[in-house]
Amino acid sequence: MKGDTTGKIVAISGMSITKTSIILALVLITASWGFILTSEGASLSEYFSAGNLYHTKKFLASMFGLDGGKPAFFSAESWSNALKLTYETLKMSVMAIGFTGIGMLLTVIPASRSAADGSITLRSTWYGWLVFGLIRLLYIFSRAVPELVWAMIIIFVFKPGILPGAVALALHNFGILGKLCAEVVEDLDWQPIRALRSSGAGTVQILTYGILPAVTPKFITFLLYRWEVIIRTTIVVGFVGAGGLGQQFRLSMSWFQYTEITLLLICYFLLVVGSDMVSGLLRRITQ
Amino acid sequence: MHRPFYETHNRAILSVLLVTAFIWSLFSVEWGGNLFHDGGIVTILQIVKAMFNPDLSPRLLKLALVSSWRTLAYAVAGMTLAVIIAFLLGTLASGILVEGRWSRRFSAGLFRALLGFMRAVHELVWAWLFVAAAGLSPFAAIFALAIPYGGTLGRILADIINDVPPEPVRALRAAGAGRVQVLFYGYLPMAMADMVSYVMYRFECAIRSAAIMSFVGLGGLGYQIQISLADLKYNEVWTFIFFLIGLVVLVDLWSMRLRRGLVS
Repeated sequence: MKGDTTGKIVAISGMSITKTSIILALVLITASWGFILTSEGASLSEYFSAGNLYHTKKFLASMFGLDGGKPAFFSAESWSNALKLTYETLKMSVMAIGFTGIGMLLTVIPASRSAADGSITLRSTWYGWLVFGLIRLLYIFSRAVPELVWAMIIIFVFKPGILPGAVALALHNFGILGKLCAEVVEDLDWQPIRALRSSGAGTVQILTYGILPAVTPKFITFLLYRWEVIIRTTIVVGFVGAGGLGQQFRLSMSWFQYTEITLLLICYFLLVVGSDMVSGLLRRITQ
Repeated sequence: MHRPFYETHNRAILSVLLVTAFIWSLFSVEWGGNLFHDGGIVTILQIVKAMFNPDLSPRLLKLALVSSWRTLAYAVAGMTLAVIIAFLLGTLASGILVEGRWSRRFSAGLFRALLGFMRAVHELVWAWLFVAAAGLSPFAAIFALAIPYGGTLGRILADIINDVPPEPVRALRAAGAGRVQVLFYGYLPMAMADMVSYVMYRFECAIRSAAIMSFVGLGGLGYQIQISLADLKYNEVWTFIFFLIGLVVLVDLWSMRLRRGLVS
């Protein structure tokens, strides 16, 4: 009888959050579209007007090099330059995920609830909880700020190049990867670790023989997944002068060299598809 | 049973490979004192100091609030379109709407490739292309958000639909339901919970993406951050960043509550 009521209460509270969410979502959608269509002055008919259509056609024609002149994607020199930038972008992304991974590995154990409550270190202390809270706050902070904003700040400090881009990408992804990996540590199966502990293993031994082997496959999966995302974003941090394809993309845009843009987009696309394939292959190896 | 070396040690080999790649990337930077701007270290100290002293004057708080709303509104608008796109293309990419093995494979292949293309290009690149092609308009930002997000959500929806257990669906088919009916009464209810929590996660990302649309001239938190940075007013920068963090955390809390509600 009692279990029945609890079940009902859970169901009701479950219903209510779903219902509240639906109402909240509808209100948000109505208010947002209302705001954009009225005070922001967005007009769909204006956006798809004849004048805009003409501009779009002209833009596309110049992207494909139909407006005269030699298109950049038929020039060997442009290709070699673009491929060099692609190579640089690839290096930036690897560096970024490397920094992210180092930051994550240094913080992930104290950032897991299991470390704070004493499952790993054998005892729960107030400073354990303090460190746990501080690192979790740091994670939220670092992932809430977009890469581009980090890049805008970082570029004040570093000279333009691939290092500031990598640092900006790492700062944002540190929070995401940290959170994902801390959850992996929390979700571990604790039976083998308890067995290790009861046979007299210390903290370091528990880490190397109990936790590390269990978390490695998941960590590598997440690392590769974030690497794919980083590849896509390298072009964006380049916009503010952090090197690679993005920097050239911005320059070509402001010089109206649209065939150059097409070439850079082709390289960018190849990089994204190629890295997806490599990452998929590596992930299959770890499974 | 004897297994080859690379099979038993695949994780160790992969780890070594990844570390080597990272070290290789480090060689592309000329390490030394020449990495920083003159006064770069001083600047970073100023920025960090300003973090503990954000500008909280009423004028700026009001501006931050209005900017937060604008960023949120664009994120919501972009997500609305993305969900519609994901629903249309995702169901087509799952291949359940067509009969026969080959047409199914064709439908899945074609639409999965389309979704892949949409999400391969970053939203800011889409935005830039839209602005270059048809000028600055709120729709440039909304479409730019909706295309890659629709691509990601569509892929996930297709995957979830393909993972739905076949028995209930077969039962529906046997009861005489058509393809579309099976979709609405069989697949979608079962895909709903997973899909909602993923949409909420992407909504959190959409807020960040809407903020950086400032780069192509859209107003909002990103725009204000950019202006304050250009004016070297770091205290104001942090105020706007804290508002952005607040927005992201609110959405995160909402999605956490909702996920818990859906699971129970």
